[in-house]
Amino acid sequence: MTYTISPLPHVKSDESVKRVMWGTVAALIPITIAAIYLFGLPALTIILVTVIAAVVTEIVIYKAASQPIPISDGNAVLIGLLLALIMPPSVPIWVPIIGAAFAIAIPKYIFGGTGTLVFHPTLVGFAFLLAAWPTLMGTGSTPNLGGFSDLLIETGAGRLVEASPILVLLGGAFVLYKRYVDRRVALSATILLLLVMPIVGMGSQLPYVITGGYFLGLIFLAADPVTTPVTKKGRLIYGVMLAGLILIQLHFNTYFAGMCFAVLMMNVFSPLIDRSTIPKPIGGK
Amino acid sequence: MKIVTIKTPDQVIIPLQQHDGAVCDSLVSVGDIVSVGQLIGDGEFRIHSSVSGEVTAVSELPHPTGKDVLSVVIKTHDGEKREIEPVELSAGKIRRIIKEAGIVEPNGHPTLRTKGDIDTIVVNGTNTWDLSSYEALMLDYPSEIVYGLKALMETVGAKKAFIIIELGSEALNTMRTETIPDSNIKVIATPGYYPPGTENTLSKKFAKKKVPRGSTTEDRGVLVSSIAAMKAIYDALRDGEPMIKKVVTVAGAVGSPRNVLVDIGAPIGHVIKECGGCSGTPVKIIVNGAIPGAAQYSDEVPVIKTTTGILVQTERDIEREPPAPCINCAWCVDECPVGLMPHLLYGYADSAQFDKCAELYIGDCVECGMCAYVCPSKLPIVQIIRYGKHGVAEMEASE
Repeated sequence: MTYTISPLPHVKSDESVKRVMWGTVAALIPITIAAIYLFGLPALTIILVTVIAAVVTEIVIYKAASQPIPISDGNAVLIGLLLALIMPPSVPIWVPIIGAAFAIAIPKYIFGGTGTLVFHPTLVGFAFLLAAWPTLMGTGSTPNLGGFSDLLIETGAGRLVEASPILVLLGGAFVLYKRYVDRRVALSATILLLLVMPIVGMGSQLPYVITGGYFLGLIFLAADPVTTPVTKKGRLIYGVMLAGLILIQLHFNTYFAGMCFAVLMMNVFSPLIDRSTIPKPIGGK
Repeated sequence: MKIVTIKTPDQVIIPLQQHDGAVCDSLVSVGDIVSVGQLIGDGEFRIHSSVSGEVTAVSELPHPTGKDVLSVVIKTHDGEKREIEPVELSAGKIRRIIKEAGIVEPNGHPTLRTKGDIDTIVVNGTNTWDLSSYEALMLDYPSEIVYGLKALMETVGAKKAFIIIELGSEALNTMRTETIPDSNIKVIATPGYYPPGTENTLSKKFAKKKVPRGSTTEDRGVLVSSIAAMKAIYDALRDGEPMIKKVVTVAGAVGSPRNVLVDIGAPIGHVIKECGGCSGTPVKIIVNGAIPGAAQYSDEVPVIKTTTGILVQTERDIEREPPAPCINCAWCVDECPVGLMPHLLYGYADSAQFDKCAELYIGDCVECGMCAYVCPSKLPIVQIIRYGKHGVAEMEASE
């Protein structure tokens, strides 16, 4: 009788990269439905074409490079869906298509694919579109938390994701619980931001921050595991620095774009923070 | 469930290395007749025969750690059992008796390993995953375990002792009742944690003594031991029986999974057969736990003093998914009990940057396997870290 031998461990947890990615996509389904409910057909069209554009781009690129196509891991779908959700409903269809293709081709593929990329592809795609067609990317209205009903359905929503803050938080709670996004980054940045804004005299801007766009940014985009540091201390530092950068951006930039650029800027610091916070093992001096 | 004593096998294979140290010298040769409890291996450690019979071979044979180790093969004589006489106790003798009984912890350290001052004894009674032998021992022999613990405390001069048991374990009540008269023995319930029985972790968590790099818990006055060792001390003191039997958990795809009392040296194939045999086609046999254990290439490998469990896996239990790239999720960093950066060690070792591995304290890895267990990318982290440790050792040797 011969037996298989292998190094330890001999059991592995059920979680996999696929489950992390598709689980995050699933967490975004409620807000996707709310966006379609609020904005109707344009929202549905934007979401569909953006996701399809991201998937098709990935297939074409990996095929052209004769590399195994990683579609099934759900990363391209996630990038596309996130990009679709931060579009204004009025945007012409071809804009998010170009954005999705760019997000997959440049920040994802060129930087080495899932795991090695430096900048969050969705945010790079967004920044690219904002720089190229600022007028088309403009929103019709700016969400503003007026009362409790705005938490459920925000009628002043300017972007798909701003349709309902509470549904974004619901999905966020799920991914935080499952550790599909980094808890330390998401929680430290969100809590710090909400606490510090009234203290530094920006309390009047708080209603613009308690919106779907910010929660999506802080939980799903900023705390994305690939672009955040890995050390325990580093992730806290990242969250704190991110909150600080957002405060500065809020002063000079529009609300949503400010947050996005703050996250992109923080992505740059991620490796540096990692390198300078390597922990000493237990018992080390 | 009660511990079941299984039939003595027709032949036992007793390796002369059953602890963390050098191989013992064989005191017997082919053709010798040995009896139960007879000393057959001596050196820095003592090994006894677990059966009465005739020595048929003394040669290098497979060992649960994967190497070949000098072993004594004994063919069992039927029906012959040595009378075991209770021992008269005197304080000075306890240390000698425990020492001569060759009692060893599951991690390979001798239970009595220091002459220095010991203030606290931490007894590990936690079980994880597929292993439950400690719980079974505590349920079946609570007073014996406390007896053994008191004897050990007296021997090393410890003032207090902690028995660590998992929350929700049935043994918790049993041991609490058993230790009511002893104010210096405390039963502590803890949420299940992993890896169990790492001396430094237990010392830090329960005795509140941190162990600096390069020294041991004994240097800080903490002796970490286990439930199995307490029972072995009792057996040695009361029955004069050296460590020749072991309670082993048999789990997984077997007819009747249970805790069994096995003679040291019994081939694991024999133990599995006595537990109802394999159900389904066995693909993997793992000794000492699903996560930190070692997969065996043969079921001729014997049960030794450090064996705590035997797990049988069929094709269904085995993960064969190809690894995906690391996504920096940091789960391994969160899980590492020693505070290392497993994903970085993986990356550096995989690309043969051994100097970087050394900088990141690769030698501190205890190979508990938790990083590879949680890894969503299914990376073989432990395997590559072992390769890295090897590379670091070679690099340092060539300098």
